[in-house]
Amino acid sequence: MNKRLLRRLDFRLIAVVACIVIISIVIIGSATHINTPSDERYWYVQRQGISAILNVALALFLMNFDYKMLQGYGNRLYIFNIIMLLAVMLFGHAALGAQRWIAIGPLTIQPSEFSKLIMIIALAAMLEERVGKINTLQDLLPIAAYVGLPFLLVLKQPDLGTSLVFMAIFFGMIFVCGIKLRLLAGIFAFGAAMLPVLWQFLKDYQKMRIMVFIDPNVDPLGSGYHIIQSKIAIGSGMLFGKGLFGGTQSQLNFLPENHTDFIFAVVGEELGFVGGAALLLLYLVVLWRGVQIAKDASDVFGRLLAVGITSMLAFHVLVNVGMTMGIMPVTGIPLPLMSYGVSSLTTNILAITILLNIHMRKTKLVF
Amino acid sequence: MVEIDEYSGRLKALGYIVVFVVAILIARAGYLQVYDGEYYAHLADGNRIRIIPSMAPRGTFFDRNGQLLVENRPGFTVSLLPLSAKIPDDVVTRVAELLKVPKEDIEKKIAAHIGFDPIRVKQDVTEDIVTIIEEQKEKYPGVVIEVQPIRNYLLMEEGAHTFGYVSEISEDELERRKGEGYRSGDIIGKFGLEKIYDSELRGENGGEQVEVDVAGKPVQRLGLKPPVPGNDLVLTIDKNLQEATERAVDDQLKLINAHGAAAVVMNPQTGEVLALVSRPAFNPNLFAHGISTKDWNAINNNPYHPMDNKAITGEYAPGSTFKIVTGTAALTEGVISPTDKIFDAGYHWIIPKSNAAGEALGWIDFTEAMAHSDNVYFYEMGNRLGIDRLEKYARMFGLGEITGIDLPYESDGLVANRKYKWKVFEDDWYLSETFDAAIGQGFNLVTPLQAAMVMGEIAANGKRYKPHLVNRIVSPEGKTIKEFQPELLSELQVPANVIQLVQNGLHEVTKVGTAAGVFAGFPLDIAGKTGTAENSQGRDHGWFVAYGPFNNPTVVVAVVVEQGGYGSQSAVPIGRKILEAAFHVTY
Repeated sequence: MNKRLLRRLDFRLIAVVACIVIISIVIIGSATHINTPSDERYWYVQRQGISAILNVALALFLMNFDYKMLQGYGNRLYIFNIIMLLAVMLFGHAALGAQRWIAIGPLTIQPSEFSKLIMIIALAAMLEERVGKINTLQDLLPIAAYVGLPFLLVLKQPDLGTSLVFMAIFFGMIFVCGIKLRLLAGIFAFGAAMLPVLWQFLKDYQKMRIMVFIDPNVDPLGSGYHIIQSKIAIGSGMLFGKGLFGGTQSQLNFLPENHTDFIFAVVGEELGFVGGAALLLLYLVVLWRGVQIAKDASDVFGRLLAVGITSMLAFHVLVNVGMTMGIMPVTGIPLPLMSYGVSSLTTNILAITILLNIHMRKTKLVF
Repeated sequence: MVEIDEYSGRLKALGYIVVFVVAILIARAGYLQVYDGEYYAHLADGNRIRIIPSMAPRGTFFDRNGQLLVENRPGFTVSLLPLSAKIPDDVVTRVAELLKVPKEDIEKKIAAHIGFDPIRVKQDVTEDIVTIIEEQKEKYPGVVIEVQPIRNYLLMEEGAHTFGYVSEISEDELERRKGEGYRSGDIIGKFGLEKIYDSELRGENGGEQVEVDVAGKPVQRLGLKPPVPGNDLVLTIDKNLQEATERAVDDQLKLINAHGAAAVVMNPQTGEVLALVSRPAFNPNLFAHGISTKDWNAINNNPYHPMDNKAITGEYAPGSTFKIVTGTAALTEGVISPTDKIFDAGYHWIIPKSNAAGEALGWIDFTEAMAHSDNVYFYEMGNRLGIDRLEKYARMFGLGEITGIDLPYESDGLVANRKYKWKVFEDDWYLSETFDAAIGQGFNLVTPLQAAMVMGEIAANGKRYKPHLVNRIVSPEGKTIKEFQPELLSELQVPANVIQLVQNGLHEVTKVGTAAGVFAGFPLDIAGKTGTAENSQGRDHGWFVAYGPFNNPTVVVAVVVEQGGYGSQSAVPIGRKILEAAFHVTY
């Protein structure tokens, strides 16, 4: 790689992301009882650690390519994405009531994770020419249809969480594309009016999740259990936490999914408000850098990419952390860079890599 | 760049949104962890900390000579630790199968359970079940064995009404006595001394504080508090006399085919109760680990009310035993002199009320009238005294109020009086009612204990001591915590010679009078009085009260036999046997 390009790496972003990944591996260790003797105690930490290293290698490799070439692959990626999502529907295997995984050799991957990133690239490529030209419903419809197809496929899995991420990406990107605010307001008004209709389409367990979000005690041992135990875990961490490996809620298994979706509750319980707030501030730096990189991008495609990625990450952080603290419904979307999961980690590292790439090529290089 | 830069404001807005999102999340974390942190810390402890109580052994009962009456034996209880999550179905199924308890019953108990104390599934299980659960811990997560001492009443039915019984605390009791440290599942005294002295007997439960995981599996012990045994009671009861009294009552009931009876044996000089019997009785051991429906129905459907302690709650017309009161009143008020004679023509000349068996004794004085329980003589005493003075003396003897014995549910009886008549019947008092009252019929009601007290006051030269069943409360280490001294309640305000005259009359009862036949050949001098209480519901109730030895009384006895007919035939033989046992009379 060009030495001058290397000098333009966003070291702040790299440092912050590295911090989050290291914290993630430590907390996954705590959540999976690494301090209790057992044959398999390193399993999760090993997997997450190895994928982190492999991802860094992949990122270094990808930095050699200019992100601008992605623009030409937009439609092909889009079609690949549709095929992949269809494959999940046809060949995927179910877990926890949803069909989200497909097996490729020894790996089980979760295509909906990658499809978020693919959507960002495809949408950025599509929107590049439409900046400032989304003024009427007719202007918007093709874009909506473009996003709508994969959206529905993911919704069908069912993966409400990821489909909502699609919405967040979609709105974030068309917002920066200069969609007429009146049109945007109209869509929101229409969406709000459609909520009761959408409710009919929700599965029973999804309805229950919304209901326990409003009041976890309607089903304290069932759907409300996660929220209640998670709030207890975080709240009982108090200011300084119970210490690493010291969280009773997490260590004694009162907190379910503590290494995946509810990992923030482990941080809150063991490291307290101080630790939790510090982690959130690290996320703020990532997101803030995302916005800055969008601003400084050398072209529209790069800016839209950065906006899409930032929207995705922000929505994930908001919904996941909000869920663990009872201010967002349980939708099963992971905390980026923190939750255990190879697909999720890879997607997010790739997203960060794209941000770094945009930043590195932000202005014409002067030799 | 040109075309999009006009929307750089939008990008700025995106930046603000991102800051806002993180600010919201940090604020929420602050609210949960700093503002509400204590609350959630408490909930987290509730999740993980369980107390496995170890019940304190209840204090035991000894008789006055140190003989063991009521003790504890070790019992094992299988309990489930309540979890934050649902107790796994397979565990419930396994426990149900092992204990042979219907699964629905366990599920009901779980559903009804509140709080974090163990859910008691089955008490008093055998040791092999304990072994299975302890050896196969993995199969029974959250299932614990509690060692619970189980009450053991050595005398079975004997003394049941005095000792009482224990069982699990009810919701009502829990609500009322929460402040005293009672918890759900506690064993509490429900009746008798067990109830009255519960706070002394219960001791202090200990427990083990353990940390459990989500499955209820104990992870580590956090603390241990050994239970403190309750205090022992040394009773005034004499085991041998109690047993003899029980036997005497049982034998006589069998002989005359009666079912209900009560007997009180006391020391008139101290108020110590030496024996207390009520028939029919119940076996308090049945309650110790939850009475079965069958046993409970058997007790409940018995028409003679086995659960009533008739010695203190049974109210009967005193019959001729009341002549002690009437006689004392007449002599004290001077309405007759001891030597004055009244002519008994078999009936009274104002109102033709007759003697019980229609006999006519001719000219008789006080002593003769008392000895033969002459009704006509005492009608006339009633006539001369009037109901108000009769009432005054009855109350002076302590009738119409509870004695204050240390047993629950004592009745106060009733003293015939104008006010009562007016209140209940809205009618004036009639002379014939005074006649009835003077011989202990009509409105008068006394408990066997009150009857014993009246006789005891004569025996103790007018002194009325509070009846009590406990001599000492002794700590588990053997230290006396409290000693109960004789408590003088009141003294009869009558001249000493009046009491002497009444004593002599009662002495004559056993020599030449109504009890002389049964007491023929009795080696000690005693005093007694028979009585027959009219009973509108069936046969009359038979009474006998007595004390001895005549010159220095240490024992007073009251016996009532429900529907036993004449006291001389039903109650007196029991009285004689009790006195024989009390004075170790052998032939």
